[in-house]
Formats: sequence, C-alpha cells, structure tokens
Amino acid sequence: MSQTAVLDAGPRPSEGSPRPLPRFFGRGALAFVLGVYTIYTLGPFLWLATMSVRTTAEISAAPYAWPSTFHWEQYRSAWVDSDFAIYFWNSTLVVVGAVAVVTLIGAAAAHALARYRFRGNRLIYAVLFSSIIFPPQITLISLYQILVEYNLYNSLLGLALVYVSLQLPLTVYLLEGFFARIPQDLFDAAKMDGYGDLEIFWRIVLPVGMPAIATTLILNFIQLWNEFLFAVVLITDPDKRTLPIGIRAFMGDHFQDIGMIATGVMVSVIPVIVAYVFFSEKLIRGMTAGAIK
Amino acid sequence: MAVVRLDKIVKRYGLTGPTVVENVDLNIADGEFMVLLGPSGCGKSTTLRMIAGLETISGGTLSIDGRVVNNVPAKDRDIAMVFQSYALYPHMSVADNLAFGLRRRAIPAAEIERRVKGVADILGLAPLLARRPAALSGGQRQRVALGRAMVREPQVFLFDEPLSNLDAALRVNTRSEIIKQHNRLGSTMIYVTHDQVEAMTMGTRICVMNAGKVAQIGAPLEVYWQPANTFVARFLGSPPMNLMPATLSPGNRRATSPALDAPLGRWSHATLATYAGKTVTLGVRAEDLGLEKPAGEAVGAIRGRTVAVEPLGAETLLLLDIGGGTEITARLPRQVEAFLDQEVELFFRPEAAYLFDAETGDAIAPAADSATVVSAAVKRRTH
Repeated sequence: MSQTAVLDAGPRPSEGSPRPLPRFFGRGALAFVLGVYTIYTLGPFLWLATMSVRTTAEISAAPYAWPSTFHWEQYRSAWVDSDFAIYFWNSTLVVVGAVAVVTLIGAAAAHALARYRFRGNRLIYAVLFSSIIFPPQITLISLYQILVEYNLYNSLLGLALVYVSLQLPLTVYLLEGFFARIPQDLFDAAKMDGYGDLEIFWRIVLPVGMPAIATTLILNFIQLWNEFLFAVVLITDPDKRTLPIGIRAFMGDHFQDIGMIATGVMVSVIPVIVAYVFFSEKLIRGMTAGAIK
Repeated sequence: MAVVRLDKIVKRYGLTGPTVVENVDLNIADGEFMVLLGPSGCGKSTTLRMIAGLETISGGTLSIDGRVVNNVPAKDRDIAMVFQSYALYPHMSVADNLAFGLRRRAIPAAEIERRVKGVADILGLAPLLARRPAALSGGQRQRVALGRAMVREPQVFLFDEPLSNLDAALRVNTRSEIIKQHNRLGSTMIYVTHDQVEAMTMGTRICVMNAGKVAQIGAPLEVYWQPANTFVARFLGSPPMNLMPATLSPGNRRATSPALDAPLGRWSHATLATYAGKTVTLGVRAEDLGLEKPAGEAVGAIRGRTVAVEPLGAETLLLLDIGGGTEITARLPRQVEAFLDQEVELFFRPEAAYLFDAETGDAIAPAADSATVVSAAVKRRTH
C-alpha cells in the first residue's frame, strides 16, 4: 500500500476522535441549561421585586402570590420615613470614595509592580497576594482597635479607609496581571515622544488598561455596596448607617418587616445594576475598541 | 540631520552580569543610512536602544552632533524610533498617534495639524486618520509608525526591525517606502535588522555584529565581497559562503585537500609563508562555482558527491558532500541536470577564492595588487 493511500484513509470511526454532537441537540441542550440557570438566578430577584410592592401582612398570608395591589408607596415610605435616603447617601459616600481611592492607588501600584524592576518588587507582590488568601474577618479586631486609636471608629471616613485596605490587594493583583501584558514598546514609544513616567501612567496605562480597571470598579463597587460585617462592627450611630445595616434595622428579634426589607433591598440593588450596566457595557465596549496588539 | 558617534560603547547588565555589547566603535555620518546587521542576540537592538536612550550605557561615549548624550533622557535626544511591534497607542486614532509626540513639545495646534496632514498625505494615511490602530492592516500600521517618527522631524531616525511582522510582498513595498523617505528627508537613519536582503538593499553602510562586537563595517557590496572573517562571509549571502578546510602549500601557492585544489595567486609568497603547512579555511561563494572549467591555467576545482538537488526555477542549487563532514552548495543555471549520488567536479576562478585563518576565522588579506582584481570583480558583478 502506498503512503498516500494510508494518509488518505484518515482516522477510522472506532479509533478516531469522538464525533461532534448534532447541532440542534447541542443548541437545545445549551438553551435548556441557560434557561434553568436564568430561572435559578433571576427567580429570587423577581420574587423579591414582587414582595417589595406588597405589605408584610400580604406576604405572610401568601408568600409566593402575585401582588393584588401594587403598594408603590412603600418605596416613598422607605426613602423618607425609614431614613433610607440617609443610608443611601452614606453608602454612596463611603463606597464611591473607597472605590475611587482603591482604583487610583491600586492602578498606580499595579503599574509600578508590573513595569519597574526594583529590589523587593516580588516581595511586595507576594505580601499583597498573601493578604488575599486570608479571610478578612481575621483583621476585624485589629482594625477596630486601630480605628479607635485614631478616632476613626464610628466614622464614615474610618469605614472608607477600611474598605480601601480590604479591596486594595485584589485590585492590585488583577490589574498587575493586565498591565504586565501591555507591551514595553508602548512605554518606550511614549518616552521617545517626550513623556515622563507619570504622564505615561496617566495617558497610556490608564486608558489602555481601562477594560481591567472597569472590571475592578464593578467588583469593588458591588462587594463594598453589599458589605455588612465591617460596617455593622465599625459604625454605631443610626445616622451613619450604610444600606446593608439600614436594612438590618427592619429585622427585630420577634418581628421582621419583610415588605420593607424587600423594598430596602430593591433600593440598594438599583445602583449595583446601574454600575454593572454602565461599566460592563458602555465603558468596556468603548475602551476596548483599540485593544492591545 | 546629525552625526552619531559611538566610542567604545559597552552594555553590561548588573555589576557581574553578562556583557551584551562590547566596545562598539561606530561613526555614522550626517544623512547616512547605517544598518546594524546580525543574528538574534548579537546586541544590535541593545545598541540601538542605547542610542535611543531607552537603555543605560555601561561604558564608552555616545555623542550626537558632538554633544555627549550618555545621560540625556530619550525625550531630549531629538530622536524618533520605529518599533518592530509598531507600538501604536491603541486607544488613540491615527491622527492622535501622529500628533501625540508634538503635543508634548508645546507646538501650536495649527502647526501640529499642518505636519500631521503633510505626513498623512505623503504616506497615504489621509483616509485613515480617524481610525484606531485595531482597524488597520499590518502595512497601514507600519506606515502610521513611520509617520509618527517623520512628523517629529527629528535629527536621527531609528528603526528596530520594522519590517519583521510584515508579509513578503508588503515588506518589499515598505522597504521601498523607507528608502524613498530617506532620499527625500536626507536624515541620518540607523536601521536594525537580521535580514541581509534589507541590509544590502537599504544601507549606505552595514555594521555586521556578532556576540556583542562589531564584526565588520563597510558598504554593502564591500562587506559582501571582502568579508573580514568567516562569520561575515557566512552571514552575508544566500546560500552562505562555502568554507572548506585546506592545507597551504606556499611553494606552489595552492591550498589543497583530498577534494580541493585551489590556486592562491592573489596572495603573496610572504603572506602564505606564515601559514606554511598549516590548515586554513578556503571560502568560495555558491554563485562562483560552475560545472564548466573556465579558460586559463590556474583554476580552482572541488570534487564531491551530490546529496541534494534543489531546482528553484530561476536557478538550481546543488549540495555536494566533499568528505570530512563538509558540504558545499553551488548555485548553477536552471538548465543544469543533476542527479543524486553523482560524482561532480566544480570549478572556480582564482579571484573567487577567499582565505581565512582557521583558528581566528579572520580573513587573510590578499596582496594589494590582487585587491584591485577584487574591486574589478565587484564592479563587474555590480554592473
């Protein structure tokens, strides 16, 4: 038998690679899995949304029922009567401030670690990375003590600083990985064009790294917006509560105002959705038009 | 335009680290197109980056137009560079890429616009000014990179293997474009490549580098026809120069081996006497070998057995095993019919022979009068 004949024969069905699934079956299975997953994740949210326009009495009578009357006034009541406006403002102040600082410092640190060779570079990186491994709860008592020492306990500034320290390692870790992939030639070209290190960071690194920065923005925002543990330990004044603690106020020892809790949760979820939609769609799409090549 | 002078330039990484560039001396004249040519890792790109100011200089002096610039930052050297990867800013349009360097230099907006438009018109980039680099082809990106350097109107242009990422056809076009721009601007240009065709076709002079050192500097054809050592002889030319061990017989001015008999009329008795009885390396270029015996008494001959025949259309390459583990290549006319495992005798004219010291690899220079013969040969081959 000639060699050509052997080559032309190709793999036999019994010994060749597995045959691909029929297309309709593959697509149908995919649609089924995605459908189940969507119901699994969206179901509780929709249930919460229906509860947010029902009274606690109605919910107690029929937990899964569709609202017979839409009590939109619950939103007004939560916003005005239950101080949700204050909690919302506190959350916005703390989270936006912390995320802004984390992003700026984290991007600068990640750029330095990714781009400059200096003694201790990898040591700093290892220390930062190791802090991701440990659960944040173990720092709670020491952070409490530090805030008390510096008169930052029970203050929004203190809470924001704690949030910065909590999110910084992961931010640096994520951004360093992305920034390290930006070609060195880009920096060299900017140097030849007359730009200094700080200007290169501002004009090249930040815009080119925007997809990664947007990712950390979303992650940090969602994580801090929903953060409960540190807020409940480090804030005591009712007028300094953030949204998660504010919602907790509707939970008594013997009675839980489920309707108002649902309304509060819906109020707190809206900015998260807005942040996600804004950053993940518009920002990333816009900034990745000239991807790194 | 500027004169660039490298005086004993050294690049060493760390105090005890490897020396990647060693005592490089190079004078690049005003308006010259100097090509740094060598294999990967020979130090040519590092040398270019030191000139650019992107690498620190460990030793020696670098001056541009008489001004020592060893410690002058890249941005203050008035140099523009075209990178192998193009290094276009991905988040900026073509127009912004071109204008980016000018904006930093506080040039009035109207002047920036005039220069960007001028360069865009020259390079055919005008319809692409609003696009981002991701929306450009490889050739268009390369033209933008070239334009970004041109728009600065620098004293010196540096090119770091700018054609490596282009396909063969585009490479030829862009090569012509760069030559055209050099002729138009008359600027000093330093061009790094590992491609000998680029070096031969573009350079006013070529600086061949090997293992961090300068192996030879000269005009393209001078370096090709008068290689200073076996490295240059092998590196320039495709196929590379055939090198064969041979023993010198100064008495009758011949280099011989069981498969080889070469007359050495170009070399003086005195020169050959120093190598009497020693093994030398004889070099003959593939294109100087032929099946027909040239007229005249003193003709070189090599015998061997064919191990490969490569018909390329325009010519045929014949690979011969001449024994002792040595193989040589002959570039023959396309009409030649050759078969494998066939005894073949190839001939060459005496002026086509090169002689190298077998230990150092340095060329053994022929007598002065014979050099004239070589020059004549160079001229003959050039025209």
